[in-house]
Amino acid sequence: MKISFRINQKDVSLDLDPMRRLIDVIREDLGYTGTKESCGEGECGACTILLDGFPVTSCLLNAIHAQGKQIHTAEYLAKTEKGKLLIDCFDETNAVQCGFCFPGFFVSSYHYLLNDGEPNLEKIKYALSGNICRCTGYTKIFEAILLACDRIKKQV
Amino acid sequence: MDFYKPSSLPDLFEIISRLEGRKYFLAGGSDINVQIKNKIITKEPVVYINHLDELRGVRDDGDQIVIGALTSYHDLISSPLLLKYIPFLSEALRYFASPPLQNMATIGGNLANGSPTADITPLLLVLNAELKMMSKSKLRIIPLNGFYTGYKQFDMKYNELIGAVIISKKATSGYRSYYRKVGSRRSLTIAKLSLAGLKKMSGEQIVEIRLAAGALNEYPRRLARIEDYLTSRIRSELDWQEIESLLSKEITPITDLRSDSEYRYQVCLNLIKQFVLD
Amino acid sequence: MSSARKFDARPKVAGTYRFLDDYNNIEMMHGLLFYARFDHGIISKIHLPPDFNLNEFTIVHASDIPGQNLVPEPVADQPFMADKEVIHFGQIILGIAHHDKKTLKDFSEQIQVEYQKQPATTDIKQCLEDEKNCFGKEILINHNFTPKSDPGCTYLHKVYYTPHQEQAYLETQGMIAIYDDQKKSMFIQGTMQCPYFVKEAVETIMGSAIRQVIVETSEGIGGAFGGKEDFPNIIAGIAALLSYKSGKPVKIVLDRSDDIIITTKRHPARIEIESWTDRISGKIRKLTVDYRLDAGAYQTLSPVVLARGVLHSFGTYNIEEAQIRGRLFRSNTPPNGAFRGFGAPQAIFAIESHIDHIARELGIDLADIRRINLLRKGDEMPTTQIIQEDHIKECLETVISWSDYYNKKARFEEFNHTHSDKKGIGLAIGFHGGGYTGNGEKILKSEVKITIDKDELVKIYVANTDMGQGAYTTLAQIVSEALSYPLSKTIVEIPNTDKAPNSGPTVASRTIYIVGALLQNLAYKINAEIPDNNLSSYIKNHPGQFPREWKLQFQPDPDIRFDDNTYQGTAYKDYSWAACVVEIYYHCQIYQIEVKNIWNVLDIGRPVNRKIAEGQVEGGNIQAMGYALTEFFYKPGFGRMHGFTDYILPTAFDIPEINIEFINTSSPIAKGLGEIPMDYPAPAILNAAQHALGRNFYELPLTPENIFQVLKSSHNTKIAQEDN
Repeated sequence: MKISFRINQKDVSLDLDPMRRLIDVIREDLGYTGTKESCGEGECGACTILLDGFPVTSCLLNAIHAQGKQIHTAEYLAKTEKGKLLIDCFDETNAVQCGFCFPGFFVSSYHYLLNDGEPNLEKIKYALSGNICRCTGYTKIFEAILLACDRIKKQV
Repeated sequence: MDFYKPSSLPDLFEIISRLEGRKYFLAGGSDINVQIKNKIITKEPVVYINHLDELRGVRDDGDQIVIGALTSYHDLISSPLLLKYIPFLSEALRYFASPPLQNMATIGGNLANGSPTADITPLLLVLNAELKMMSKSKLRIIPLNGFYTGYKQFDMKYNELIGAVIISKKATSGYRSYYRKVGSRRSLTIAKLSLAGLKKMSGEQIVEIRLAAGALNEYPRRLARIEDYLTSRIRSELDWQEIESLLSKEITPITDLRSDSEYRYQVCLNLIKQFVLD
Repeated sequence: MSSARKFDARPKVAGTYRFLDDYNNIEMMHGLLFYARFDHGIISKIHLPPDFNLNEFTIVHASDIPGQNLVPEPVADQPFMADKEVIHFGQIILGIAHHDKKTLKDFSEQIQVEYQKQPATTDIKQCLEDEKNCFGKEILINHNFTPKSDPGCTYLHKVYYTPHQEQAYLETQGMIAIYDDQKKSMFIQGTMQCPYFVKEAVETIMGSAIRQVIVETSEGIGGAFGGKEDFPNIIAGIAALLSYKSGKPVKIVLDRSDDIIITTKRHPARIEIESWTDRISGKIRKLTVDYRLDAGAYQTLSPVVLARGVLHSFGTYNIEEAQIRGRLFRSNTPPNGAFRGFGAPQAIFAIESHIDHIARELGIDLADIRRINLLRKGDEMPTTQIIQEDHIKECLETVISWSDYYNKKARFEEFNHTHSDKKGIGLAIGFHGGGYTGNGEKILKSEVKITIDKDELVKIYVANTDMGQGAYTTLAQIVSEALSYPLSKTIVEIPNTDKAPNSGPTVASRTIYIVGALLQNLAYKINAEIPDNNLSSYIKNHPGQFPREWKLQFQPDPDIRFDDNTYQGTAYKDYSWAACVVEIYYHCQIYQIEVKNIWNVLDIGRPVNRKIAEGQVEGGNIQAMGYALTEFFYKPGFGRMHGFTDYILPTAFDIPEINIEFINTSSPIAKGLGEIPMDYPAPAILNAAQHALGRNFYELPLTPENIFQVLKSSHNTKIAQEDN
């Protein structure tokens, strides 16, 4: 089946099995390997992408879910203004350890920054509650996002 | 696995009226894809419905709120209409799965999956919610209480679809509400048990009470015997041993990887007590 | 103490850093490990599904192995693949490869194995109870122990249990094997901790069929925690065999459920402790420890875990008479293996819980009982090693005052008088020996290499991998600081066995403590050879001398001796020390513990990179919290977990406030860091639960269900009703 959508600001139209997992389309067919597979059942958030601006786990979506939609992955968000600011904060706080979960955390925290952005620890925890990290104990990730929120507030 | 993508709602009913065997509706994907991965779904046809936007959204309909089956948990939680009339529902659903899954999962999907642990069902049960069942030629409104008839068994014909959930705007007015989901952690957790409740008090007297429990039977259920016992009694004069024995007739908690039967039973009792005495 | 940024942080966030599954080429076949779904049996026939074109598949079985079907390990008793007999669930029977991942999966799911069922031991407690299951070499330490009883002493005899723990690295295990028929060489790329282990494994399975094996890690390694210490040997061996047979590159990346079912876990333990404590002084006079591990079906590296467990089982206490026994038990379950702490978390859980039980029995304050018995400078461990420093005392006193332990304890008790929900505060201390146990480093003789190019790049070659702990940044920082040379021009090369000497495995906190110290010495040596002490200008002025290479090998301290038979001597040259206070909140309606605050005071010597060190402590604490509260892998009657839906890891919501303080930071030595923050929080949480609930606990995890059972058994009434 022909499935057309926009990914990282590029229009694509592919002949796909509509039930093919969206994560496989993104990683294997389109080569955006920044989206990671870890649990394969929506329990870890490593495969989080933005679908029409909302974080979703791409391992539990099918190619058909992308039809007519906009997808953004970590690779693209890293080039945006807010994405860059967020990466600076992750870097400065040394929040990243193995990094396998991080593109997913990045997508969730980017969405938070864009849609709420309040430097509130409880809200940040909520926004990240679908992403699992086994290395860091999360503490420095919270710190990084709080820092990013503060910086954006100061810019305004 | 045959795949169908109806071009419209009438087309959908046309398609499903021809599919008499077991089939799956693909909406948000969060349940279906787990079942495909675990080989629970292998060959059955899949009918994609997530693009049928007329089934999406929370609508104001006179005395009622009509929630389209494709409405996502995110849209439920952030619906101004629900926040205004049933704020308890929005608050309770905040801890459903996780934010990404809230963006995907739909109310219709959660109900149609029929899992004993479904978070929303106990809530809708105490709200006396109704289901709008749609098919090619017919529309029927049925109470949710009664929709489930056994483990993953429903009062639903092969050519039907859950079109919407209907809640009265006054469903909680004058009531105190209660919801507690007990899981291994706060997010990304499947309920070990959950309890939803509404009660109307007159001083110390319980005028009316509704209780529904999740993950304690083969499907989420109202605790009718307990409701009957509690109704019109004085709070300080309750016989908790009697309630305990009624509860043992009402729920059949199991021991599995997630929790133990005895624990589930005791916590259910604790939560009932917390709600009744609070 | 600098906080240099990690060089890999930015590409990891942006998703451009490459992990194993991000490497692809058109030729590549996908590989899969087909394993037994039964506990013990003799295979009579394997039925391949009929509806597939078998020519498209490459299938390998034990009979295809040209070399030896035994994984090299401290005890080489485990085959790469089962031949006739399967002795544990998850044991690999076949390696299968196909170009299409989905076809491969469908095919393997339809394979039927016919077998004759044999008796099996799968229950942890049954396995550890029955001495008939003992296997391998027993460890016995006897330190002045006399069996006669002491009338002035209180005798306490308790048994402690700890469960499996899954490493749950976010990147599942995987390997790529590329066979070159012309050169008869095998190139292996993978996510691993120990490239030289993998090299030896591939050489073993391939035997004389190939001439050369080169092992390189993927750019990124998505977490390991010990889980990628020995299991990668098996995947690499089978991937190599598949590539050899098919002539094509083969990539095996495990699905999460396969990974969780077949790979190694932390060993479940049963630890029995007897103590004789002076009723008046609170001094522990005598101690016996019976330390048992469920090794699984094969010994593999369990003897080494056992050794470390035994050597940490007496805790940080000065005990005049001690007898410690360590044994491995066999079950029909997958071999357990390395996981952060390596036997020590089990040991420290038991001894720290036991110390609390002694204190409660004698009515002594929990901090005081530790003060009375603490290992002090000049004291002797049961191994006869003499303690050289009083840092554990400093850790303990600092954490008590910093956390406001006594005031909080009193306040919580007041709160508990008037509330059904409870608050609790717990205390635990711990230690962890750095580097390999006993003579390990002497035998390893690690070597490191540094090269300097004409383009002024300092390149560090080691076999140690960066699996997220920041090793490449920290090692580069050590060399850059020792050379007084810019960090931006100092890099660690991706480990490759053809380029890097064998600096040993990435385990036991030895990467910074041993390998880092070697690199530091090598850098000093380079400094001494560069006359004008300015490397940059020297390279410019003497281009003919570059590229140049330096190497250095580990030289054991001749004064340090350890007897592998009696376990007497210096088991570890340096110990890290730590003390911890944990505050919890107990939700009485649902019997659930929530950790609110963790206070850590550690002596890890000099933290090379403060932020990286903090990250290690935070991560270790949270893994320990999972170990204490939610993580278990097996439930009697219900079997084993299959994925992240069942196995409950902490999420963002569960994270308490974590406070970290390092002492002794001006030390010249950077001691072990990665493991110790995993060792002590679990007993501190248990102790806090005992404080909150006034009941004793002996077993992890403290799930609401387990707490409910304990409360129920001691009340024998409905607890909630009483509390209400």
